Amino acid sequence: MTATQAPGKSVGAPISRVEGHLKVRGAATYAYEHRLDEPAYLHPLQSTIANGRVAKIDASRAEAEPGVVAVLTHENAPKLEAVGDAELEILQNGEVGFRGQFIGAVIADTFEAARYAAGLVEIEYEERETDADFRPDRDDLYTPEQLNAGFEPDTSVGDVDGALASAAVKFDATYTTPREHNNPMEPHSSIAVWDEGELTLYESTQGVYWTQNTIAPLFGLDAEKVHVISPHVGGGFGSKGLPHANVVLAALAAMLVEGRPVKFALTRHMMFSVAGYRTPTIQRIRLGADAEGKLSAICNDVVEQTSKIKEFAEQTGTSARMMYDSSNIQTTHLLAALDVAVPSWLRAPGEAPGMFALESAMDEMAIECDLDPVEFRIMNEPEKDLESGLPFSSRGLVACLREGAERFGWDGRNPTPRSERDGRWLVGTGVASSVYPVFSMGGNAATIRADSDGKYVVEIGAADIGTGTWTTLGQIAADELGVSFEDVEMKIGDTKFPNASGAGGSSGITSWGSTLVEAARSLREKIEAEHGGNIPDEGVEASAKMPKNPHRKEYAMYAFGAHFVEARVDEDTGEVRVPRMTSVFAAGRIINAKTARSQFMGGMVMGLSAALHEESVLDTRFGHVVNHDFAEYHIPTNADVGELDISWIEEDDPYVNPMGSKGIGEIGIVGSAAAVANAVYHATGTRVRELPITPDKLIS
Amino acid sequence: MIPLKFDYEVAESAQHAVELLGQHGDEAKLLAGGHSLLPIMKLRLAAPTVLIDIGRLNDLNYVREDGDKLAIGAMTRHTDVEHSDLVKSECGILAYTAGLVGDPQVRHRGTIGGSLAHGDAASDLPGVFLALDAEFKITGSGGDRTIAAADFFEDYLMTALAPDEILTEVRVPKLNGAGWSYRKFNRRAQDWAVVGVGAILERSNGSISSARIGFTNMASVPVRASATEQALSGASVDSIAEAAESAADGTSPSSDIAASSEFRQHLARVLTKRALDEALSR
Repeated sequence: MTATQAPGKSVGAPISRVEGHLKVRGAATYAYEHRLDEPAYLHPLQSTIANGRVAKIDASRAEAEPGVVAVLTHENAPKLEAVGDAELEILQNGEVGFRGQFIGAVIADTFEAARYAAGLVEIEYEERETDADFRPDRDDLYTPEQLNAGFEPDTSVGDVDGALASAAVKFDATYTTPREHNNPMEPHSSIAVWDEGELTLYESTQGVYWTQNTIAPLFGLDAEKVHVISPHVGGGFGSKGLPHANVVLAALAAMLVEGRPVKFALTRHMMFSVAGYRTPTIQRIRLGADAEGKLSAICNDVVEQTSKIKEFAEQTGTSARMMYDSSNIQTTHLLAALDVAVPSWLRAPGEAPGMFALESAMDEMAIECDLDPVEFRIMNEPEKDLESGLPFSSRGLVACLREGAERFGWDGRNPTPRSERDGRWLVGTGVASSVYPVFSMGGNAATIRADSDGKYVVEIGAADIGTGTWTTLGQIAADELGVSFEDVEMKIGDTKFPNASGAGGSSGITSWGSTLVEAARSLREKIEAEHGGNIPDEGVEASAKMPKNPHRKEYAMYAFGAHFVEARVDEDTGEVRVPRMTSVFAAGRIINAKTARSQFMGGMVMGLSAALHEESVLDTRFGHVVNHDFAEYHIPTNADVGELDISWIEEDDPYVNPMGSKGIGEIGIVGSAAAVANAVYHATGTRVRELPITPDKLIS
Repeated sequence: MIPLKFDYEVAESAQHAVELLGQHGDEAKLLAGGHSLLPIMKLRLAAPTVLIDIGRLNDLNYVREDGDKLAIGAMTRHTDVEHSDLVKSECGILAYTAGLVGDPQVRHRGTIGGSLAHGDAASDLPGVFLALDAEFKITGSGGDRTIAAADFFEDYLMTALAPDEILTEVRVPKLNGAGWSYRKFNRRAQDWAVVGVGAILERSNGSISSARIGFTNMASVPVRASATEQALSGASVDSIAEAAESAADGTSPSSDIAASSEFRQHLARVLTKRALDEALSR
């Protein structure tokens, strides 16, 4: 829909994305597609061992190949500053920390020549024993100093052991989630150009300033010497949040051919070795409850993986700290550091695997307590955030559960497993809750210029990774300026615009939107105070930084949701189909009903995918992912996704930000895998605690 | 992503293709629809130095009646087999299974002969042709010959085709009222079969006179469910469930990330029963 919105009435409307026509016509310029003169092409050299060092590297045959411009290795690589990040400090020595790590690159006049010559480089290794075996009984597990996003690794409230010992109903089970890879449609891509000591990066990134702030110190540069341009991004799911070594490799290579652009796009295969992934997790959940089903103990003990060369500690257990009411709550995190690639963010790091375990366990505990799983959750609703002690700014979980139950037709459900069948199909239903924090990120500023013709130009270095930012920020600005959506032009995705945080942690709209509101208010005041309410002929502009939100110290801020799933399981083959899914979200004010629906839907399907399909299989002998392409790493096709009923409740939260919005990029994936698993249990009577739920696990 | 360098020749006739094969030796490969060959070349699992394009041999694109058989040209596209009225009425299992191959793009480019000559036991068609007791007509420098499907598939991606031979036609019997079914199991739409079962059941006087059952992806070559076939020969229609229990006997399918060997055997038994039940009712 492109109908004109009345002034001040853009937010909430289902406005089609403004750049949609460019994408449909193939005219949107993605990172690799910027037309620059005489580009050179990079093909990387990747380690074929998981642990050791490069003993000898002979590039003479490659260098002699027609079209080859240079071969980059640790022997001739420019020196990087030591910033304490072994993932990014590549080619500074011959050390190899994981299979697939970049150990060099061929730069050539054509992509074909670069790739061909890469095969001519002769490499000898001194190999050390590979340790890539992720097990909970390793004797070298350790507690990290902090988890991703700064969370405490271990927390304890009350006396969990005592509460469990005296609980009328006790539950103890272990869940596992597999290694998963992000795999946006657009692989990570860069064009790097050096010119007189300044670096320009045409990037596919979730944050142009995040890239700038990470890359500049590595090359010993002031931040403003690194220009990052990223108008359109074909998905990221966290893997383009912070730059990976591919960006460094392109920039190093471009130094060897100063003045000439170097192009480098990862292949799909490379996406499984160098661009981050979700750690596998092993989660022991213990719950205790009294005879009525009131929880007295909640405990999640997490074991997960990191890389020996760089620590990443997923905050898997954090949702257990605040989700349900209990006087006794404990969470712990242990890491196994292995000779593997560096794990990183994947849509809802922490909540996605953590809520699979917790919400599966809540389903099992409801059954133990002989309670309906919806009612069991509602009766354990907390009055405040038990981790911070703060009240919730708003908490719509109960409303989502009630509304979802109504829409789905939950009432009258026979709780007995295997109670419904349709021929050979066993039919079951399941429910799970969802949660995601309302993060806000610092370092945002925006400039808005008003022209005398009543048009406004809004500049902020924000990112649209397919989420709709080009459109939604325009809606926010238009409403705050009191003008129609069509009169606002957004400028984002470039470090020539004011400083901005990235698209991550579902924080984009909160951070950028708050900044735009402040800038719009400044501009209106300026027009009023200095120009008598009229825009002068020469135009007028105002800038603002993101104001501090005083309510952050007063309230705990989260979005919530509830998923209801129908699963059908072929009792002979174990084939699982999900014909319908109803999800209801409480995510504050929805900025754009159309792009929001897409965000929720994408998250839900990604959860369905985690439930039934996704699993990166690591060969522990050699440390590489075996199923490193879409033929073998399964994600569902449209034909595998049933009817999706997506809605949200009206939620007025005056505390989260001036828009009253909460982030929505991640909440759709959280809990959805558990809802599928719970429905599969209800259909079959078989509880699968290890994702993905493959057919063999349902055949005894 | 990008194959190694290769030369490209266009064959003007089947005989010309044979001559070109003779010139270039065993480093040459025939290019039909290309939907199996080109992906493995891009993955560099195959690196022929010459491709001989037989895509313009339109005289090998046909479906004809030939007495009690159907003759299908090797260059007939899957989609043409799927939608052929003749195939649908006389050999329904073939039309149905051709409609399950890959996705619409694959079915519009890929050819029957290409699928068979590629010899992938995980493809849907080879097991069905085996169950049909099909015959394959081959032209080579030594002249023409005909080979039974049972003798055609030799090992993983290996067939009885000599380096200078080309498959020109496949011949399948008309089903003449025999019941049939093909059951494919996959976890994701349009994916390869984890296991597939093709069954053809001939009935007389309320009992089963013969059952022919071919498997997809239960070995390195397409194989028959011999024990079940024997158990059903001349047996009562009530014996299907029991006979299907022996469907996986003698098989040792591979274990991979899609399924374990044991789970494939389980699927083979389940799908065989379902295929036989459906064939009986058809």
